[in-house]
Amino acid sequence: MLAWPKPPGTARRSACHFCDTLHEFEPVDEGMAARCARCGAPLYQNRPASLARASAFSLAALVLMALAHVFPFLTMDAAGMRRELTLFGAASALMDEGAPLLGASVVLFTMLTPLMLAAGMFYVCTPLMFGRAAPGARTTTRWMYLSEPWNMVEVFLLGVIVSLLKLAKVADVQFGIGFWAFAGVMLCMAGAVAGIDREELWDRLEVAES
Amino acid sequence: MSAPFTKAADRGLAGCHTCGRVSPVTLGRCPRCHSKLHLRKPASIEGTIALMAAAIALYIPSHLLPVMTATEIGAVTQSTIVEGMITFWQTGAYPIALVIFVASILIPLLKIIALSWLCAAATGHVHPSPTALGRIYLLTELLGRWSMIDIFVVGILVSVLQLGNYMTIKPGPGALAFAGVVVLTMLAAMRFEPRLLWDRLDEMNATPPTQPTDPES
Repeated sequence: MLAWPKPPGTARRSACHFCDTLHEFEPVDEGMAARCARCGAPLYQNRPASLARASAFSLAALVLMALAHVFPFLTMDAAGMRRELTLFGAASALMDEGAPLLGASVVLFTMLTPLMLAAGMFYVCTPLMFGRAAPGARTTTRWMYLSEPWNMVEVFLLGVIVSLLKLAKVADVQFGIGFWAFAGVMLCMAGAVAGIDREELWDRLEVAES
Repeated sequence: MSAPFTKAADRGLAGCHTCGRVSPVTLGRCPRCHSKLHLRKPASIEGTIALMAAAIALYIPSHLLPVMTATEIGAVTQSTIVEGMITFWQTGAYPIALVIFVASILIPLLKIIALSWLCAAATGHVHPSPTALGRIYLLTELLGRWSMIDIFVVGILVSVLQLGNYMTIKPGPGALAFAGVVVLTMLAAMRFEPRLLWDRLDEMNATPPTQPTDPES
């Protein structure tokens, strides 16, 4: 496969987002990327099995996300008490202890944005495999890419590791299933986002809707 | 020699910020994703500087105020980000101390310095060398989120260490200020328009060599 179907008109050109150099669209082989002739910034990439990979990885991310919400990240035994850490627990503890904005930011960056990204990717890419655009697919895709920089799954995971080392001094702490599930979410989200080029997804959407 | 590369803006075309589609800027909105079309992000330098100034204003209290308050068998200890890092260092947890130092102190500072430099280059106060500055910009966008780590650690500890009379932890005002620093520097980096660097470079290259060969234009 040389490239994905391109919509007609000016969409056949691309402008480097970094230096604004105008390029005519050149089809590239699967697994290859087109780079800006002037500054070398990546313009677009032709990913192999892009829609299948994006759908599969995002579905896997959704399943793991459900597990990460059900099972604890950490289990701690201290002073005769057992405490468990969950995502909702961390957010609601902040809200209860007088830091509602911080609690909201935990909800936003570790729950809502990953959900938006994974669910959006699955919702948009699966029908596209059959050449169809889901209702509201453009709005979904737009929100998906707007939320992408705010996805902080991997940062939270590193935070759990730091906390574990901090807690290990005062108590007996162990990683739970939730932690490993969330690590899986991180990998699957990376696979889903890297699975399909932004330009390709939008082009396919435009072609499917016309 | 005139530029061998054509800029989309010179043809009145704008690459959409959201979906990348190239459309005439006169359309106003992208026909594909309905985002607003701009040749360059409007008031990008002013916006970046304003958000950065707010981030600097919050950076100071974020390190002076405690990020959490621990009550251990009646004894209350407050700790700032730096104190937490020093504790890790003293107990021999060097990698963790280093992670906190990089994520909480170094990255926000470097981001503010890098963005100031980029703004100075984009307005022509410093020579714009887009390839080097481009890497700096990319790094700034990439690393920004990692500073949130301390906020998440506070959230996790507050949630887990609720052991009644034995030990409780509450979030401090420093944490909110620091979260503000992270979000504001991220917004500042997004607001910056890297294409301005190339515009300045083209202006600088265009003026001296064209004068002897083509004095009229």
